[in-house]
Amino acid sequence: MTDVTSTIAEIMVCRIASEMEEVGVTVLGSFTPLAYASYMLAKRTHAPGAVMVGYNALDIPAVELSMMGSEGAAFRGSTGRWGFLTLVNTVHLANRGNVEAVSSAQIDGDASINLSVIGDHAHPKIRLPGGVGAPEVVQNYRTMLAYFGRHDTRVLTRKVDFATGGRFPIDAESREKAGLQGGPVKIITPKCVLVKTSDAPFVLESLHGGATADDVVTSTGFDVVVPTSVPETVQPTAEQLNLLRNEIDPFGTIQFDFMSGKERATYLRTMIDREWQRAADAVEARSRG
Amino acid sequence: MTTKLLPLEELGSVVHDGQSVALGGAWLCNHPMAAVRQLVRAGRKDLHLYSLIGSIDVDLLLAAGAVSHLTFSMVTLEAFGLAPNLRRQVEHGDLQITELTGLSMEVALEAAGRNVPFLPYPALGRPETSDLVRANPGIYTHVADPFVGGEVLVVRALRPDVTIVHALRADRDGNAQFDGTFGIDDVLAKVPGTVIVTCEEIVPREVIVKTAHMTKVPGYLVDHLIEAPFGAHPTSHVPCYSLDAPEMLDYAQAAGAGEEAQASYVERIRRETEEDYRTRVLSGGRDLVLAELVRQGRILGSISA
Repeated sequence: MTDVTSTIAEIMVCRIASEMEEVGVTVLGSFTPLAYASYMLAKRTHAPGAVMVGYNALDIPAVELSMMGSEGAAFRGSTGRWGFLTLVNTVHLANRGNVEAVSSAQIDGDASINLSVIGDHAHPKIRLPGGVGAPEVVQNYRTMLAYFGRHDTRVLTRKVDFATGGRFPIDAESREKAGLQGGPVKIITPKCVLVKTSDAPFVLESLHGGATADDVVTSTGFDVVVPTSVPETVQPTAEQLNLLRNEIDPFGTIQFDFMSGKERATYLRTMIDREWQRAADAVEARSRG
Repeated sequence: MTTKLLPLEELGSVVHDGQSVALGGAWLCNHPMAAVRQLVRAGRKDLHLYSLIGSIDVDLLLAAGAVSHLTFSMVTLEAFGLAPNLRRQVEHGDLQITELTGLSMEVALEAAGRNVPFLPYPALGRPETSDLVRANPGIYTHVADPFVGGEVLVVRALRPDVTIVHALRADRDGNAQFDGTFGIDDVLAKVPGTVIVTCEEIVPREVIVKTAHMTKVPGYLVDHLIEAPFGAHPTSHVPCYSLDAPEMLDYAQAAGAGEEAQASYVERIRRETEEDYRTRVLSGGRDLVLAELVRQGRILGSISA
């Protein structure tokens, strides 16, 4: 029997998963475990026909999330292999991108994201990894989803230090006129869900984890509109929790999004040891015949 | 016909100080790591690296002091953290960088492969949503659309002097096959300049012919072919072996721990041959476990869903 008390991470996973539909394509981008878990959950529940691409493997099945085995599983279950350029020409650049949740160091009220630097681009205080396909994802996908492991004014900030990517225009009508897919911008944090459908500020859509609307407003560096009544974010079901904990993420990769660098190193070592041991045991069992 | 076969030890004779070098692979998958280690051993300096999605390949060359310029869209150790040497060298102003959006970098390399000076790239909206466009006027600009009027963003062809990719197998003519992650290796191999393929195994032509659908790089593009078993290690080469996560963690910790730990990591690679390296990292049956990890990755539900 699964404990149905869900963690904040699990609430966020289920909320992101609910955006997945059986239209268009979702590409598994760079290391975003919360997003990966969401896609796998959607594929295993309401959207079995959703098309996912991971690595160079097309139309992959749901796979167990791990540090070493996920790539092999994705290829073993895929229907084909394509180079990235063919993939992006047919997805990102051809209006087939459906949902891909990005995670960046900063986001602002215009929905610009920063994966490049903290500080000045030429002389940064912190050099971040860079955005790879994120600029094209947030501009071209139907729905722009951004998630964060922290909700404070340094992350949800007045103005990003550098706009690695962004979205223009925002409202569906202008987007369609520009030949883009119309769809909202949604931000999912440990406190809430924010939504933006025009040049007007983000609107508080729902709250979770005991956060209040005031708390969200003071923790956010840009304007947030608070409707008179704000619902609680939908709680995961027992079925969702069971799938997440026992099938999709038994090693606990989604915790990464909420850890500091130091915590990660210890956690990672334990997780790697478990996965390594499982494979070593299988090798041992085979050698014994 | 002269042979394309080159021993790994001679890589330094075809990649020179000051050249621009594009590296294949993506994230923690299929980087040409045997070649990277050999460039470290050869003491290459002043390289201009091109990397779409780099990780330990780029960071190790930075650690070895081999790089003066990096053109990239992402360099990250993923779960293992930010790339320590990218951070240090950029934050200290020791490394010149050209940062591009990922898809425009792919298109810029494709332009070189098609032998055209630039390609249209309107995918960043108008006005462009990325500050990277404004930060790189020598790579992105607008030209008049001759057909419907108005202006269109274009991206300039990027032409590295050398590209290095790692394949599953190839025949002696360089017809190279892949079955797992190959990123943009097919695009990189088309770029004019010296194309070097390392591979897990060199096989008779009949093997390639029987599995011709797996060939992603035709031999006529390839200048040098190097046999390098476990040539992507510690990154993955599916279906042969997974990421070696313990080894990645060791690298991330050595590189993050400061100069001494990092210097000894690099020095060990410098002093050993590639065969010594394999013996060191794969002993005790670790090679079998890395192969098993690929098989142990679980598919959930039915693939016929």
